[in-house]
Amino acid sequence: MNTGQIISGAGHLAVIGWALFGGAFRTDPPPLEVVEATAISAEDYAALLAAQGAPEAVANVNTPEPPAPGEAAPVLGSEADSPPILSQPEASTTPPPDPVPSPPEPVPSPAEVSDTAPEVSPPSEDTAVLVPQVSPRPKPRPAPRVAPEPVAPSEPDMRVDDVARPEIAPDAGAVIEETPQEETAPEEATTEIVTEAEEPRDPAPAASLRPRARPARPEPARTETTAAQPGLQAPPATDSAAVSDALAAALGQGAPTPERPAGPPLTAGEKDALRVAVQRCWNVGSLSSEALATTVVVSVRMFETGKPDIASISMLNHSGGSAAAAQQAFEAARRAIIRCGADGFDLPPEKFEQWRDIEMTFNPERMRIK
Amino acid sequence: MMRFLLTLVAAMTLWVFPATAQQGGPLRLEITEGVIEPLPVAVPDFVADTPAAQDYARNIARVIAADLTGTGLFREIPAEAHISRIASFDSPVQFADWRAINAQALVTGAVSLDGAGRLVARFRIYDVFAGQELGRGQQLVGERDGWRRIAHKVADQVYSRITGEGGYFDSRVVFVAESGPKDQRAKRLAIMDYDGANVQYLTDASAIVLAPRFSPTGDRVLYTSYETGFPRIYLLDVASVGRRALPTMEGTMAFAPRFSPDGRTVLYSLTQGGNTDLFTMDIASGASTRLTTAPSIETAPSYSPDGRQIVFESDRSGTPQLYIMGASGGEARRISFGPGRYGTPVWSPRGDLIAFTKQSKGRFHIGVMRVDGSEERLLTASFLDEGPTWAPNGRVIMFTRETQGAQGEARLYSVDITGRNLRQVPTQGGASDPSWGPLQN
Repeated sequence: MNTGQIISGAGHLAVIGWALFGGAFRTDPPPLEVVEATAISAEDYAALLAAQGAPEAVANVNTPEPPAPGEAAPVLGSEADSPPILSQPEASTTPPPDPVPSPPEPVPSPAEVSDTAPEVSPPSEDTAVLVPQVSPRPKPRPAPRVAPEPVAPSEPDMRVDDVARPEIAPDAGAVIEETPQEETAPEEATTEIVTEAEEPRDPAPAASLRPRARPARPEPARTETTAAQPGLQAPPATDSAAVSDALAAALGQGAPTPERPAGPPLTAGEKDALRVAVQRCWNVGSLSSEALATTVVVSVRMFETGKPDIASISMLNHSGGSAAAAQQAFEAARRAIIRCGADGFDLPPEKFEQWRDIEMTFNPERMRIK
Repeated sequence: MMRFLLTLVAAMTLWVFPATAQQGGPLRLEITEGVIEPLPVAVPDFVADTPAAQDYARNIARVIAADLTGTGLFREIPAEAHISRIASFDSPVQFADWRAINAQALVTGAVSLDGAGRLVARFRIYDVFAGQELGRGQQLVGERDGWRRIAHKVADQVYSRITGEGGYFDSRVVFVAESGPKDQRAKRLAIMDYDGANVQYLTDASAIVLAPRFSPTGDRVLYTSYETGFPRIYLLDVASVGRRALPTMEGTMAFAPRFSPDGRTVLYSLTQGGNTDLFTMDIASGASTRLTTAPSIETAPSYSPDGRQIVFESDRSGTPQLYIMGASGGEARRISFGPGRYGTPVWSPRGDLIAFTKQSKGRFHIGVMRVDGSEERLLTASFLDEGPTWAPNGRVIMFTRETQGAQGEARLYSVDITGRNLRQVPTQGGASDPSWGPLQN
């Protein structure tokens, strides 16, 4: 045992001893208030009370004089009150009887609590007792033109054009001269052919679907299984395309090869713009049924102005129809390229090498079902 | 080890090569959405090579334009909008002028009278935006009073070259012309051009006539007449208007006749002892053959284009439905299963569709379905639509539409098989029971 331990033990003992015997655990009682008191007897107490409360006696009292005999009784000056008019209370209409309260719905007795969790079954989609008349899917309005996007009818005096242009009227006060431009609008269009039998008879729905029950709480996400579940909606193609393009750009896959120096690849938006520009002029309305079942691949070489080289337009191959049908389909595709490229497609000049040669596959499958 | 390395190198090559090839190739796009709208076409008046051909030159161009726009597939650009004028049939076309007015097709032509006084018409078709001629120019020669047929033939060529389908303008329709009040309506057989022109009456109004049917060659007509008080089938020669009743048994009623594709056999319904069945008759010999023996009503038969099958209407399932069986009879296969009542089926000349009448929820429809009953689509809806008949190219259907009420009247209508372009066929009075004939020679 060394010196330190001895000193420590002694110190501890000293502290414990002081605490036990020095009054560290003893609390002093609060000081008492001392009041002086005198003891008296009951007789003295009663005498003391009587001396304080006894009233003084009154000797002289004024009494009223009695009336003289024979005097008439005094006339009462006040008029007699008129009898009160009794007004009959208005007959009040009998209030309707209170509705008979419906008997309270029996409260289901609480189920016995069990340790096992109840199985939650997902609500059925067709459990309505009264099957409502399903409101029909809104049908597009019939229009002579069928296009990917519906177009509302324009003003009667407005010129029809492939694109909508605002009116530019010459302004006399303007310093900068603007070229006057007639206001135009695309022709009225619907998204699919609407036959007479399919025209909506009454736009108002006869009934609406019963609200669906709240769906069951989803299972905890398990990414490895949900990805393979059928029926899940795929994300929009444009998003995936954009993501793919972004990934491709990030990974450097879009870099041009040394043999073909060019600007950066066309973005998904630029490709979509070109696609939309062509399909706006791709009129399949005059094609035969067989031509509508024929897919043609058309090659075109572009000028730097964004205009197609008409002489370069050729059909590379076709599928799904005869040679004659393919020729009809090719001619419609060629008209689309030439017509909508007459003013030049909106393509980035710095990426000319990327779009100098274009192969367009015209697949009319979706147009057949319209 | 060496094999493993070679395999690895090959795999890396296959993995890398497509990417580099894609980078070096053209920009590739897939166009899947387009528009469906009438094709703008310019049909300036034909050039009159001789003063006597002036009216023909103008009228022929007008009929061509009417034929094309009547299909709903073309839209004519009015002459007032034309920038360029066709002064000579052989002068070069100023495509820029026609492009400027968005004309996608251009039809030019010239008309003259030859030494024999016959009409000579020449025409060309251009793809304006491609700046080239579609096919080669043609020349047609005909009598002056046949100028409408010349115009129809030109229009058929234009239609065929642009759409890829056969035309139907140079064709005729046989129908029942109706006149008088509804309770005393007179009915006569009549024949007209497909557009309502050149009406000729084939019978008088002394007897009720029903359901005329053109022969495949268009030179004969089968129809049902109540001339004897009972319905009987007659065969009429269009050129001579001569007719004869087909043989039938006493006490029977024969109706709903239709030619076989070869024109030698008549397919019809025969009611005997209160039961209606299908029969065929050899026209030359008059010999009949029974095809069905069911206790139900079988009627409205129609051959497939190859003559191997028959589609007909039967109520054997309780309500009138459509069935298909072999041309010689036998087991029938039901093809209509939708709600309502189906009737008067007609096989398309292409063989891919069957047109029919459907009654459902108090309305009548003309519809089409695949031969297996799939893809049913109703094209029309009205108080009473019935009796479809196909255009020679299988693209258009003509039918009867009758309006409601005491003043109601039957008229002929046509509609594209897509359901578009529903329009009335111009006739002088009431008209019903159309039968579209073949293209004329």
